Amino acid sequence: MPQTPMPPMSMFRTAVHPGLWEHKGKVAAVGVGHEGTARRWDGTAENCIGAWSIAACRKAIADAGVNPADVDGIVLDTSTTTGAHWPAGREIPMDVVQKFNQTDDPLDGIAQLSGEWMVKNMPELTNVKYIMTGPGCMSACIVVAAQAIGDGLAHTCLVLKSWHNLDGRYYQGGANAEPTISGNAKWTNPWAGPASLGTATQFQRYMYKYGKSHDMMAPFMQNSRHNGLMFPEGYWAQHRPEELPAEDYINARWVAKPANLFDNDIPIMASAAYLFTTAERARDMKQKPVYILNHARDNLVARGFGGFPTLEECEEACANVGVRLHEGAGIKPDDLSFENMYDGFSLFHVFHLEGLRTHGIGLGDALDAFQGDISISSPFPISPSGGNIGSGRTRFWKHTDCIQQIQGRAGARQISVPANIGVSGGPMPTGGNFTVWGSSPD
Amino acid sequence: MPKQSPVPDALDKPYFDALNEDRLVIQNWTCCQRLQHPPAATCGGCGSNQLQHMSWKQVSGNGTIYSYGVVYDSPIAVLQADQPYNVALIELEEDPGVKMLSHLPGRAVDDVPIGAKVKVIFETTPATGQKVPEWQVVS
Amino acid sequence: MYTERTRGLIWPRTPLHADAGSHSEGFTLELPGGKFLISFDIDGTLELGDPPGRITTEMVQRARDLGFLIGSCSDRSATSQRAIWERMNIEADFIALKHMLDDVKTRFDVHRYLHIGDRDLDQMFAEQAGFDFLWEHEAYTEPWLDWLEGNGAVPASEQ
Ligand SMILES: [Zn+2]
Repeated sequence: MPQTPMPPMSMFRTAVHPGLWEHKGKVAAVGVGHEGTARRWDGTAENCIGAWSIAACRKAIADAGVNPADVDGIVLDTSTTTGAHWPAGREIPMDVVQKFNQTDDPLDGIAQLSGEWMVKNMPELTNVKYIMTGPGCMSACIVVAAQAIGDGLAHTCLVLKSWHNLDGRYYQGGANAEPTISGNAKWTNPWAGPASLGTATQFQRYMYKYGKSHDMMAPFMQNSRHNGLMFPEGYWAQHRPEELPAEDYINARWVAKPANLFDNDIPIMASAAYLFTTAERARDMKQKPVYILNHARDNLVARGFGGFPTLEECEEACANVGVRLHEGAGIKPDDLSFENMYDGFSLFHVFHLEGLRTHGIGLGDALDAFQGDISISSPFPISPSGGNIGSGRTRFWKHTDCIQQIQGRAGARQISVPANIGVSGGPMPTGGNFTVWGSSPD
Repeated sequence: MPKQSPVPDALDKPYFDALNEDRLVIQNWTCCQRLQHPPAATCGGCGSNQLQHMSWKQVSGNGTIYSYGVVYDSPIAVLQADQPYNVALIELEEDPGVKMLSHLPGRAVDDVPIGAKVKVIFETTPATGQKVPEWQVVS
Repeated sequence: MYTERTRGLIWPRTPLHADAGSHSEGFTLELPGGKFLISFDIDGTLELGDPPGRITTEMVQRARDLGFLIGSCSDRSATSQRAIWERMNIEADFIALKHMLDDVKTRFDVHRYLHIGDRDLDQMFAEQAGFDFLWEHEAYTEPWLDWLEGNGAVPASEQ
């Protein structure tokens, strides 16, 4: 795949007390564009991940009401996999590939996405000078784009994250099928299992430490799906408009107890793009600007296995993020009107929420909070986006929701309290990226 | 419980050789007086890669159960026949920051006492005969 | 509030005896061809699944009309599975979560049990529960219809 540059680590705010963000209120999100969703790729050119990425970008541009020729930056995640990689030996559908302007890698636009491919296939983007990777997640794309605009590297920037999912059976092949194991996996494979096991051990420790139960997650899961069903761009709203009653959640089979099937989000295909610009330019655009007040990250390195940070390490990382977010945005924890922290695996949400130390929710309190009113009409709505639980594994619903809530465009999901300041981000407590959004630049 | 045989490399060979002699040794970085597992080419404390700072320290084989999960849906073929099975995180007596994984042989599924003392045993993996550490609850 | 015991969640059409075991007196099958039971996975198997499979609503209806006991066994919630049967406008004999095929076997005493699915997990749970298993791509030709003719012989141990 053609190289899309990686951002320098200096773009991420990881200092313990980073101070007020130097670009607070000077960068704004204006346009939003979504394309999809589907459970898996149907093999057609019009539904390949490249086509959906183009469509999402065009919608974001139109939504903001900017001239495509004014777009001078694009930040995207070049990886689009939900876990499904193009199987070795599987024929690449050249009829699909040839419908687009190709790069040197035929999988570009089908199972991955380079900046070069995007620019080549959106001829209306005649002035793109800044192309950068937001590694792994929309959360990272947002930080890189916001910092780039603040730093003057671009003034009108597309922020793009897409996910492909392939058809076919889930073969459990490769190293997992072998009798021996080499490399880093030798430390875990002989014992371990699915990806959610690490989070399961953290949550088990959490229940032990604070005297809680997995059943206490049910109201949060129910609320998340309910909110997701009001997200017309989402998977469940589009394809399976079903609520998730507590008993359905609690009866689901375990994958890695205490993480069940619904705690593991559903992999889907989807694409989302935002249009970011300077606060100054945003004033003349079609939608109300949503100001970026700060971004933050914690790089805590787990002492033990990469996949197994301890609960205490998660709690420390989340608390660090919380302090950094508030300080850098110049707000108090209770200034948050709502929160859209990460939720896939759903159990993460507990750690992220408690890290914010907002609205009286401290360590060990999140599950109790879930037993009260956390809906969009509550004084402090929890995950009004519904997150990955409510709309499928994309890690971007929470960001779209922050933008739309503050713009007053969240439709049926619009929260009752004034949406002044929101927070979103993820995925992991360690190494995730988080953003504070505001209705006012101050 | 049959599991994949880990294949040693140049870095971690002393660890696996010791296991085959029924001894548990942990990588020890003297620059920071820091035990480290899994072993790595650099000290996680200071980043040193100076081999004179690295040694292998034999530990007591005593530990405590920190937490656990129960696996019902493993992608690892050889483990599937034993599903559901326990996976516990064990913290070493010498340094609770060092964690190891265990199936807790002899313990019923989902009957795992967090905080209980455990003792290391050495289990032979079928493919190569390489031994790996396992842990049993001390009654 | 919910215990391990209730995790099975199964929804039989026929009322079961209060303490129905595998051969409960309160539970007998009197359907003309009620010797065979077919469990359908949904996503990737039934045409109403997402993604759609090749087993059509018509095939399911035909199996039911011929006296097969039919139901679904899927990772979808009970709510979701009920919605699928309502959309198909077919009355299911049972609805079960994917890991509860063994429970289905306990509740229905028939000569032959079949699960149809599209994933390794379907095969695994079917084998664990003592069901025959067909991949979706092997099943859309309705090979179970042969069972009524006595072809695809029932193993002697189960006769
Ligand atoms: Zn050191």
